[in-house]
Amino acid sequence: MHVESHAQQRTGMAQSVLHEIVRGLTDLADNGTPSAIDLRSLPMTEGDRHELQEALGRGEVSATLDMAGKSDIWETRHAGVWWVRHMGSGDRIASETIEITAIPDILMAHRDDIRAASARLSADLAAAPSEPV
Amino acid sequence: MTEQITIGELLTARGISRRSLLKYTAYLASTLALPPLASRAMADALASTKRQSVIWLSFQECTGCIESLTRSFSPTLEDLIFDMISLDYQEALQAASGEAAEEAMAKAIEDNKGKFVLVVDGSVSTRDGGVYSTASGKTNLEVLKEVSAHAAAVLSVGTCAAFGGIPMAKPNPTGAVPVSDIVTHIPVVNIPGCPPIPEVMAGTVAYFVTFGKLPELDHLNRPKMFFGDTIHDRCYRRPFYDKGLFAKSFDDEGARNGWCLYEVGCKGPVAYNACATMKWNNGVSFPIQSGHGCLGCSEPNFWDQGGFYKPLSSWAMGNRALIGGAAAVGVAVGALSAAMARQQRNAAVTAATPAKEKQP
Repeated sequence: MHVESHAQQRTGMAQSVLHEIVRGLTDLADNGTPSAIDLRSLPMTEGDRHELQEALGRGEVSATLDMAGKSDIWETRHAGVWWVRHMGSGDRIASETIEITAIPDILMAHRDDIRAASARLSADLAAAPSEPV
Repeated sequence: MTEQITIGELLTARGISRRSLLKYTAYLASTLALPPLASRAMADALASTKRQSVIWLSFQECTGCIESLTRSFSPTLEDLIFDMISLDYQEALQAASGEAAEEAMAKAIEDNKGKFVLVVDGSVSTRDGGVYSTASGKTNLEVLKEVSAHAAAVLSVGTCAAFGGIPMAKPNPTGAVPVSDIVTHIPVVNIPGCPPIPEVMAGTVAYFVTFGKLPELDHLNRPKMFFGDTIHDRCYRRPFYDKGLFAKSFDDEGARNGWCLYEVGCKGPVAYNACATMKWNNGVSFPIQSGHGCLGCSEPNFWDQGGFYKPLSSWAMGNRALIGGAAAVGVAVGALSAAMARQQRNAAVTAATPAKEKQP
């Protein structure tokens, strides 16, 4: 069908996103300012998306998060450029961003979670019977 | 009842990590068209906020709106909206019934006076004192006046609550009116659609909980972030429209090729909604993608506009011949349609002005 062939077309949107990524990377390198691009807000065809993925590739780091649905995060071939894909119900993409940062926020443990973990582990140790040495 | 602990404390108690909250706010930021990096600040704000009390009243409606909201959620990411709010009264979902349910609502109102959000689906019967729609021995009209007197704001969910909807269709036997005709002392946000998109309903509530204020509204009191563009603006069939390639019937070559459905009655050019980007059934499709024109269900009076399968120009301009000539030149149709969209919008503004003027 013509509709499908239209979806495969490349509209130039990927090139625009790549230029925006370069600007973001320059800002990150010079001033340490992170930025992000929301891919869902852009009228990208499947062809555009494929073109962008090819241009960015995959780098050294990737992570899978399993909370409230799956999330896939990977650093692209370009240091500081991360592809962050969150899935919701039915494994549908709930949000998809290019984050230009040293490390995405979501990969870092939050201080409140660390505090809760500390309390939990302490409680577990206190409740556990002491092992004979 | 509304818990007095913060959302952050509630999530911790349930073993839900801040990563999950951050993921939810990333999803929200994308849904609300906010800058992606806003998600961190939103997560911090939500974590320190108490759950928002919500009372939901259903009047002259088909339950499609609450079905849309609840059927869309499986217990994953989107489900987190239910951790942000305390749904203190909803007839279709609550376990309590009869006097116990009414007492629960009275207590929720007392505990959250001036703070709770009132969600209404369905239009309000006003003829003969509103006797055509009652519950618990009270008319919808009475209940709306009583409960809204203590609410912080009203969300009119669905086209019936927002604009009168199907119950208001000619000859309107029950004297149905939209909520904004009755509630004039507090802000009324319209979230139309038949039914509304679940993410739009949840997103508007989430915005209020996160930022403590209502989102920016358009001339019909709809959140601009969801109703800022027409279906036509974001339609994947738009390139065919621009080229003047139209389906003439639902089984011709144009229809099979996925061409623009303008000539078979699509109201996309005058319908402001987010179906073309958010889609339905977990993002699977939306009416135009399934081969049917947009009905314009998020617009006032869509039910009495002269036929779902008549081209816009036939009822908006009263001249069927315009289509035949314009179809050969898409750009010309584009200009025509844009002019009609403006006309339609202006007419809608005029129609909505009395209700809008009542807004504080």
